[in-house]
This record gives sequence, structure tokens and C-alpha cells, in this order.
Amino acid sequence: MDLRYSDEDREFRARAREWLQANTPKDPRPAGGHAASQFDRDWQKKLFEHGWAGVAWPKEYGGLGLSGLQQVIWYEELSRAHAPPAHVSTTYVAVMHAGPTVIARGTEEQKAYHLPRILSGESLWCQGFSEPNAGSDLAALRTSGRVEGDHLVVNGAKMWTTDAAHADWMELLIRTDPDSQRHKGLTWLAFDMKTPGIDIKPIRTMLLDEHVNMVFFDEVRVPLTAVVGELHGGWSTAMATLSFERGLGFIADQLELFEKVGRAIKLASEVRGADERPAIEDVEIARRLAAIKAETMAIRAMTLADIAETDRTGMPGPKGSMMKLKVTATHKALSKLVSEILGWGFFEFDGDRSNNPWTHDFLWSWVFSIAGGSNEIQREITADRVLELPRSR
Amino acid sequence: MYLAPEGDELEIASAAADFIADALPIARLHEGSGPDMGADLRATLGEMGWFALALPEDKGGSGLSAIEHALFFREIGRQCGPADVLAQALAADCASDEVLRSALVAGEYGVGLLLVDGDAFRLIGPLDARYGLCVTPRSAALYDLSDATIAGRPALDPANSLAVVSGLSEPVDTQTGPRGWQFGQVGTAAMLLGLSEAALDLIVEYAKVRETFGKPIGSWQAVRHTCADMAVAVEGARAQLWYAATALKEGRGDAPAHLDAAKHLANEAALFATDSNIQLHGGIGVTDEHNAHLLMKHAALLSRLFGDRNTLLASLLHAELED
Ligand SMILES: Cc1cc2nc3c(=O)[nH]c(=O)nc-3n(C[C@H](O)[C@H](O)[C@H](O)COP(=O)(O)OP(=O)(O)OC[C@H]3O[C@@H](n4cnc5c(N)ncnc54)[C@H](O)[C@@H]3O)c2cc1C
Repeated sequence: MDLRYSDEDREFRARAREWLQANTPKDPRPAGGHAASQFDRDWQKKLFEHGWAGVAWPKEYGGLGLSGLQQVIWYEELSRAHAPPAHVSTTYVAVMHAGPTVIARGTEEQKAYHLPRILSGESLWCQGFSEPNAGSDLAALRTSGRVEGDHLVVNGAKMWTTDAAHADWMELLIRTDPDSQRHKGLTWLAFDMKTPGIDIKPIRTMLLDEHVNMVFFDEVRVPLTAVVGELHGGWSTAMATLSFERGLGFIADQLELFEKVGRAIKLASEVRGADERPAIEDVEIARRLAAIKAETMAIRAMTLADIAETDRTGMPGPKGSMMKLKVTATHKALSKLVSEILGWGFFEFDGDRSNNPWTHDFLWSWVFSIAGGSNEIQREITADRVLELPRSR
Repeated sequence: MYLAPEGDELEIASAAADFIADALPIARLHEGSGPDMGADLRATLGEMGWFALALPEDKGGSGLSAIEHALFFREIGRQCGPADVLAQALAADCASDEVLRSALVAGEYGVGLLLVDGDAFRLIGPLDARYGLCVTPRSAALYDLSDATIAGRPALDPANSLAVVSGLSEPVDTQTGPRGWQFGQVGTAAMLLGLSEAALDLIVEYAKVRETFGKPIGSWQAVRHTCADMAVAVEGARAQLWYAATALKEGRGDAPAHLDAAKHLANEAALFATDSNIQLHGGIGVTDEHNAHLLMKHAALLSRLFGDRNTLLASLLHAELED
């Protein structure tokens, strides 16, 4: 075992830190709407123009082809610089899993078209997997596509589609074989959001935002050239997408948590409680903060252990679900604790993350433990794949 | 950067696993072999050099690091091995007198851990221990117990004897600095990790074979999900222990903070895993013949040594960390 960084790793960290210090946007990210997605596009474009886009992508597709360890360094430096957080960015789906799916399963034409646009911030993507009656049980999805000549005609509804209103493309998973059951007969499409026949209806959430949407499809014609992977073989492509999402998809959140604890400790030294003493002088608050700090240290150690193993074997292990369980639980414990430290200030919330990031974070903690596979499903995956217990279903 | 046992580390870990499972199996605690190592096993362990793994070479040790020390004590913990194994290794490291040191390395005398308890001391270790080692974050002190009064007490944890010691004279040797404490933290955290892993393995195996309502209990989500939570806690404790042991080996400035976190996470993982292991076994889990209570009792004891929850959290809060 060793914790040493190579000279190249250290040099990379120094270079990233210097660039981020000079280039991180000074203005806060707008709360939502077009202004927010434009902000994200601009930041992605800037990353691209300065050679920092696609840290995980292979070089041959315009990425940086960084080792896992250097990706960790990059995300650590991003959160240290208070750069725009990855998990609320509208570029997230495109960069973290749509692009990687196209790289893994796309045709040469699809790669040539989509990849440069994703890297430069020109294309934003959304994920159209879940439906009103297919969330945890994704294979129950019913949105259909009927083959007509060289087109598919799509009918149905997607639900929970984050940022559908701003996206240029959608990872659209539909049932193309009408007689098929469950995992068979599905198809993964790179769907152009400008196609006529779709209707987007926002769903207002408890974060007072309208980021998630229903997307309705009424006789929507999609060329067969949009199929990524095999026609009727979409489950396999979707599993590739989820492996990118569950693998390194949360790495930014993992490392940001480490940084956030430091901010929370600072906050607790400044804010005074009802007895006029700094919150941190309360022994219970101090202990809870320190226990959360220990958890974030473990999360960082788990991340580094996992990354180093993957760098060595070239194969991501089955531990992403365990990571998500620990990260979401720690995130929830931290935002709950800060909600107590903040006193009445916690209740001032207008939906704008930059006005009250802690309250936003508190609300976000439920999104985090439900979206992208709920914690109950992550426990199921851990029980099946890591512990190899008898199946529950 | 690599955070799992590799190369020679793997060889030491597997040699330790084989030897300990044979010489000190957890089954001994059901077969009336008594608490602590006992003089015979102590001599055997000494002969094989297990007490001197991390002792510097110029002091007659193997000169290995906190990593090998952790890998060895993880195996001790997996078999619910007694705390005097650790006391022996730390005492040898503490002794500056060459003759005494080599006698301790050879396991000629018994050693127990001494803990301040009001006006007296508690001894965790054999009632006939010749030496007692009292370790704090700043120093370690070795006491000759020949003339002290050792009153044995009934012990909750069958792996170790428990006594009250009074009438201690001045220590025969003192090691200033945090080394004893740090290797004690690595050792106890590793034992706690080993016994958490043992608890998880026990319940996962049982959950595959025990059936209720016509299905293995491992297919019921209340059981599966608790096992998954145990696995997450164990994984976190393991990763942090590897990190901390490596930080200590490499002499990093933030090693003390990582050790505190490692001990804390090992405490929490072991208390949780050994508790859940009993619960998920049902009635059989509370029987004396089962291993489940042995693991729980030993975890409870070890979680008090080299930093309990409140002490560790107090020192962690403001600790600075490096990249
Ligand atoms: C803010 C937000 C953004 C999202 N963004 C997207 C997006 O961009 N694209 C997209 O495709 N999807 C998105 N989702 C959907 C998300 O993936 C689903 O909400 C999630 O998978 C859960 O599905 P569900 O909501 O249908 O809940 P259900 O599947 O109905 O689950 C209800 C409850 O039952 C539990 N449960 C279900 N099955 C089991 C089981 N087998 N064992 C134990 N417990 C079980 C669940 O954990 C949950 O607590 C988003 C969701 C949210 C909340």
C-alpha cells in the first residue's frame, strides 16, 4: 500500500489548482431556467477551450484520458476552488454518462457527431429512462416505438426527466418490440429534443424548482440511425449508461462532501446558538460534526482505494452502490446538523441555491437518496453482487 | 497510490491468517482453553517473531511497518484473539533494555494493558502478567507487576482476563512520544476490523441456509438490507485503516488524525456489525455455544482501548488533513 502521488500527479494538481484559481466563475450560478443552463454551457466551453473538458474520456475522443487518480485530484481541486458543482450542472448527463455510452456503444457517425458537441458545451443531454410506472423497476417501462420503414414512431410518457427543457438530446429508452417482456425488446435512442410531437411539462419539487419534467411523446418520428447499440438490445446499452452513472458518476459529490465538512465546522464556530455561545462549543454538535468528518475521511479513502484498484485492473468493481449508500447517508447527516446550527436563518429559502446553499443541500439530500437508484435499491444491489445473498425477487 | 494489501503484504497476511486460525482459533473459547494467550502460545508466537513485526531491525525486530502490523492484528481480531498479544508487541517496542526487550519479544514474560481507573489501574491481560503497559497519546510506561496487588475480577469478555491492580511502583521503562499509542490504535482498529469481518461473514453464510416461511432468511429484505449496511460500515472502516496505517508508515503529518478516524470507524463498524449479527441469527444468536456473543463482547472491550468515541471525536474535530 502507498499514499504517494507521482511527480506527474503532483504536477497535475498544481496545474489544475492554478488554472481553477484564475478561471473559476466569480458570479454565482443562476438559480434556474435558461440563465442556469447558459451558465453551465459557458463553463463547459471554457473548460473545453483550455483543455480541461472530458477528464474521464479517452484521448482519441477528445478527452484528457486521465487515470482515475488524476480524476480524483481534478474533482478535489474543483471543490476546493468552489467551482460550479457537478451534481447540479445541466452538463452532468451529457458528460458523465451519455458521452461515455456513445463512446462504448455508438457508431462512428454517432461518435463524430455527438462527442465534440458534448465536450464543448454545445449539446446538453437529459435522461429519459424513468416513467410514471417504471422507476426502481425500470424494465417495466412502456413508452413504445413502432418500426415504420427507416423510422421509429414513439408514443408514451417519460417522468422525472431532469433538465428536459434545456437539453438538446435525450437518452431515450423505449420498448420497440410490442410482444416483449421486461428486459427484452428495448431500444436506446439518441433522441433530438427538437423533434416535433413532444410536450414537456415541468414538475415543481420541494426545492421550489422546476428542473424535473414529464415528457410526452405523441406519434414522434425518430430515424433508426438514432439507435445506440442494437435495435431491441437497449437494456444492454442502458446498463452501460447506469454503470457510468453509478461508477464515477458521484465522485464529485463524494469529494465535495469532504470539503463541505470543513465549511460546516467553520460555520459552527461563527454562528451562535440560543445561549449566545458559538454552536461548536455545544459538545453534542461538536461530536456529531467530528463523526461526520470521520465518515467523509472514510469516503475519501474508499474512493481512492476503489480508483487505484480500477486503475490497476482496468475493471470497475461492484462497490459503487456501497459508496452511494455511505455518501447519501453522510450528506443527509451533515445537512441535518447544519440545519440545526443555522437557527432561524435555515428557514430563509427562496429556491436559489446560491442564496442559501445549506437549505438547498438539506432538501437535495432526499433527491440524492432517491434519484439514480434509491438507497433501498442500492442495498439490494449490494446484497446481490457484493454479498451474494439469495435474491429477494 | 494503492490502498489494498499487495505483494509481500499479502504473503504476510495469509501466513498470519493460516497460523492464527490454527493456533488461536475462536473455537478455543468454547473448549475451555481460557482467556489470554497462555504461556505456551506466547512462547510459540514469540519464537515465530510475531511480536516483533514492527520492531526496528536494529532492536532485533523485523523492521516492518504499521501496514504489516495491521494485517497481523486483523487476523488476531478475526479469531477473537486476546488483547495481550498487542500488549506484548507494544511492550517489546517500549523496552529500551536489550535483555528485557528480547525476553519480551520471545514471549518469556506475560504482559497486560494497564488502564487508569479511578485511584487504581485495570489490567487487561493474564493475572500472572509480569509486566503491565500503560499507554497514552504522549508516552508508554512499562511497569513491573511483581510486587503489585492483582485482584482478578469476573470478565464479561472471555477473550481476556480482567483485574484491578494497586500498589504499582515507578515504571521500569518509559517511551516518550506517540509511537506506542499509534501502534496501539492500528492494532486495536485492525482487531476490530477483523472481528467485524468475521461477524459479517457469519451472518451472510447463515442467511443463505437458514429458512423461514419456505425461503432463506437472506432473501428477506430486513435481513439483506441490514447485511448491506454492515458491509458498508466494514468497507469504510477497512479503507480508512489502510489509509491510516500507510500514512503512519510514510510519516505523514496528518497520520494522527487518520488514526483517530480509523479507530473511530472501526469502533462503530464493530459495535454495529456484532450487534446486528446477533439479532439476525435469532434465538441461536444469544446462546453461549455460538460465536456471536464472543465477537460482541470483545468488540465492546476493544472499542474502549486506544481511544473511545468521545476522546477520538474531540481530537478529530479540528485536525488538519493533507492532500
Ligand atoms: C429529483 C429527481 C430527478 C430524477 N431525474 C431523473 C432523470 O433525469 N432521468 C430518469 O430517467 N429518472 C430520473 N429520476 C427518477 C429516479 O431514478 C426514480 O425516482 C427512482 O429510481 C425511484 O423510482 P420511483 O420514483 O418510481 O419510486 P418507486 O420505484 O415507486 O419506489 C417507491 C419506494 O419503494 C422502494 N422500492 C422499490 N422497489 C423496491 C425493492 N425491490 N425493494 C425495496 N424497496 C423498493 C423505493 O426505494 C422507494 O422508496 C429522478 C428522480 C428524482 C426524484
